Amino acid sequence: MRSRFRNWVDRRIPPARMVTLDQRRIFIFPSRVGLFFGLCLLVMLLAAINFQNNLSYGLTFLLFTLFVVAILHTYANMSGLTIRAVHARPAFPGQQAEFALQLERSRRKEHIAIRLGWPGGVEVTANLAECDSLRQQLYLPVGQQRGWYSPGRLRMESSYPLGLLRCWSWVDLELYALVYPRPLASAELPGLAAESPDGAAVPIEGSDDFYGFRNYREGDSLRQIYWKGLARGQNLQVKQYAAYADRSVWLDWELFPGLPTEQRLSHLCYWALAFDAQGDEYGLRLPGVTIAPDCGELHRERVLRALALHGLEDPGL
Amino acid sequence: MKAPQQIPRNALVWIILALFTLVLPHLARVPTWVLAVYLLAATWRVMVYRGSWSFPRWPIKLALIASAFVGILLSYTSLIGLEPMVALLLAAFAFKLLELAERKDAYVLLFLGYFVILTEFLFSQDLLIVLLCLLNVVLVTTALVALHRPGDDRFNARPARKATAMVLQALPLMLVLFFLFPRIGPLWTVPLKSQQAKTGMSEFMSPGDVSRLSRSGEVAFRVKFEGEIPPQSQLYWRGLVMSRLRQNTWSALNYYEVPATERRPAPVLSGEPLSYSVIMEPTQQRWLYSLRYASSPDAGILGASDYRLFRPLPIEDDFLYQVRSWPEAKLDPALSAWRRRAELALPAEANPRARALAGSIAADAANPRQIVARVLALFNEQPFVYTLEPPLLPIDNPMDAFLFETRRGFCEHYASAFVIMMRAAGVPARVVAGYQGGEVNPVNRTVIVHQFDAHAWAEVWLEGEGWIRVDPTSAVAPERIERGLEQAIAEEGTFLADSPLSPLRYRSINLVNQLRLRYDALTYRWQSWVVGFNAETQFELLQRWFGGVDARKFALFILGSFALVLVPVALSLLLRRRTNALSKLDRLYLQFCARLARMGVTREPGESPAAYARRAQRSVPRLADRIDAITGDYQRLAYAGEAQDKAALARFARAVREVG
Repeated sequence: MRSRFRNWVDRRIPPARMVTLDQRRIFIFPSRVGLFFGLCLLVMLLAAINFQNNLSYGLTFLLFTLFVVAILHTYANMSGLTIRAVHARPAFPGQQAEFALQLERSRRKEHIAIRLGWPGGVEVTANLAECDSLRQQLYLPVGQQRGWYSPGRLRMESSYPLGLLRCWSWVDLELYALVYPRPLASAELPGLAAESPDGAAVPIEGSDDFYGFRNYREGDSLRQIYWKGLARGQNLQVKQYAAYADRSVWLDWELFPGLPTEQRLSHLCYWALAFDAQGDEYGLRLPGVTIAPDCGELHRERVLRALALHGLEDPGL
Repeated sequence: MKAPQQIPRNALVWIILALFTLVLPHLARVPTWVLAVYLLAATWRVMVYRGSWSFPRWPIKLALIASAFVGILLSYTSLIGLEPMVALLLAAFAFKLLELAERKDAYVLLFLGYFVILTEFLFSQDLLIVLLCLLNVVLVTTALVALHRPGDDRFNARPARKATAMVLQALPLMLVLFFLFPRIGPLWTVPLKSQQAKTGMSEFMSPGDVSRLSRSGEVAFRVKFEGEIPPQSQLYWRGLVMSRLRQNTWSALNYYEVPATERRPAPVLSGEPLSYSVIMEPTQQRWLYSLRYASSPDAGILGASDYRLFRPLPIEDDFLYQVRSWPEAKLDPALSAWRRRAELALPAEANPRARALAGSIAADAANPRQIVARVLALFNEQPFVYTLEPPLLPIDNPMDAFLFETRRGFCEHYASAFVIMMRAAGVPARVVAGYQGGEVNPVNRTVIVHQFDAHAWAEVWLEGEGWIRVDPTSAVAPERIERGLEQAIAEEGTFLADSPLSPLRYRSINLVNQLRLRYDALTYRWQSWVVGFNAETQFELLQRWFGGVDARKFALFILGSFALVLVPVALSLLLRRRTNALSKLDRLYLQFCARLARMGVTREPGESPAAYARRAQRSVPRLADRIDAITGDYQRLAYAGEAQDKAALARFARAVREVG
């Protein structure tokens, strides 16, 4: 039953990165408040009939036709609204991932009180009244499974202007958040010394000795930026420390023989984070994937992504 | 995860505003303390909003509700009835404000507001009241819209615009339903009766009653004649026929006091009838007003044996009825023995001097007609005065005191004294209470009958002629009959002395009078079309529109008229054009983008013109220079404030057209 419904919705509102709401995609039905309103109208009609009062008839009919007109207004408030997937930030298992969406309007029409939310997530309310587009962040826990996490269909809902009708749509924005493996500490990194080619595993005294500047490259840690220089009007530069150059570690799939896949990935993840925190250079060797030693945020993301997607199909996002 | 919906500040302001305008039309009806409850509730809620006070706890709420019940019991002595129920509803409405924390509370409050509007119509269907109620519908709807605009932290009128538009769009559809929705009778008898005071004539008449009524400038009823309006002196609107005198008070015979064979009026159908329709203001009484010998084609209106009309149900709303009258017809050419006894009965001891006088007149007179003439001559020749402020009469033998001592009286004194003397002289006679005359509204040719037109006169029965009308007042003050009360008491200066604000007092100011008459004509039209609309008029209307009541035509008409309104509304909502259109320059640039898109380079949303140009140059190298030039021109025109330069714009347009 459930899957049949899902198939029907999939056919009706096919997944896409960008969806414009129109009559195929919008559903409308009286809300609970609307049903209560209907009950009130019934009582008013009874009063009109029993008191034989024409103006009471008039008021009852006016409120009823107001309800009819509200169908159009509620529908018009949703229709023409475009929602676009912007990005989904990676997260560790159990954490909340950030999903960014963009709401746009095609005509200069107001879209008021649009509630967005995934089942189980926090709902946000957006007004598209003064601006043409609006960026909206949503947060959703991503579950325990590493790999691509799909939040499912997003519910967009509004009952503006009278609250008597509920107008909604379920859109699949093909938005996937990457879930990294859960970091799992291991007592030590086995065979670390043997693996290092230059025996530079021993920390050098005063490892955070300042070494010099170099121009900023994308992915450099913000902590190493030479802010004072930037304030003086110089180029964006990064401070370099002597210890960095000397240490390079290979995180190898073969370091944890005999352990199950997930546990290996978790240990590797832990160590990657540990080295990254110290600012050391590290490389990754997985079956089929090799990432040369490097450091910085961009590198860490590449490594974590490789770990997260090990053995999984990359949908190319 | 759904958080409880908050109430935006704007909505709170609109709700409090609606709260006060809703109680406005009820003000005259509810006790003053209800208004105090409103002020208390509004102040409390504002204090809660400002964080100074907190929402009342349940013991306080319980105490408030209990005190409202006690207050209503003290004000009305009962909880049953329309007025106490409305007061209760209004109090509940105010108290709900003290619970107004979430959106769902607001729904209850606002729907209650719609009910409050409905209750107003049970009391008054006046045009101005209805307009005020329409405004209230808009206000409550505005509050409902404001409730659904999250983040509106400042008071603003945007929801009012939306609500007004929606109500205006709903109005034509409402009219369709109003005229087509089948009118059926009450499903059960309404237990809630209005406690409103009875107005107009009362069913008992003692000296002083009519003159009290004559101080009011209220409208009693309006009449529309199908043909010519008869002259003022013929407009005797009979309401009650009073045949019984008991303790100085005249009253009508009960339906069941009349023998069963005489309960229905004898049909007297000769000559052309006078046709007219009457719209009565509510009186809470059962009798109707009509010219003499009246019958009504309307269902639910009955004729009494003394040739007047009545309705089994009290008149609680404006009431429209059709009448046909035969003013020349003879009433009761032959008097039954029972009727003769009833119309001659007099209390044995009261007013001995009057009876003695009547006896001596009767002894001299040759026939009853002469008796009538002599008594009228008595009123005319002796110094009787017609006044709105007659002196108080003693309880014992009041008519003796009036005839021989005070000699100052209003119409009921003359009518009463005349009938007593007639009966003492052996001529069957009775008092008729109703209205005399009326103001002809030149705007729509209706006759407006006011309370101050209240009048009492007599009917005597003469052999071979039946009941004929005798108005003793005309013997004393003929101008009362010819030109109305205002002229008759002009010297006294007592006309509408108690209502200094009545527009009737300012009839001499032309503008005021014109406005008053126009508004009255509007009221008449309103009453005959909307208030008086019922199953019969509906049936006639459907006959006229569709040539019969046909379910298929009916459905088609409803669907058609709904489509006629809703389709344009939908189009205006869905196809709304850009309100601030793009400048010419932007349009040209978008044209340029569209041309490039046809060559396979679509501009991504949010892509800057420069970035787009770079990408376009890579994929369409042969146009690289042009793309560069146009993009450069665009940026210069857009950002260097040169967009006003007509020549530059024209050059730009040409360049865009050449791309391709």
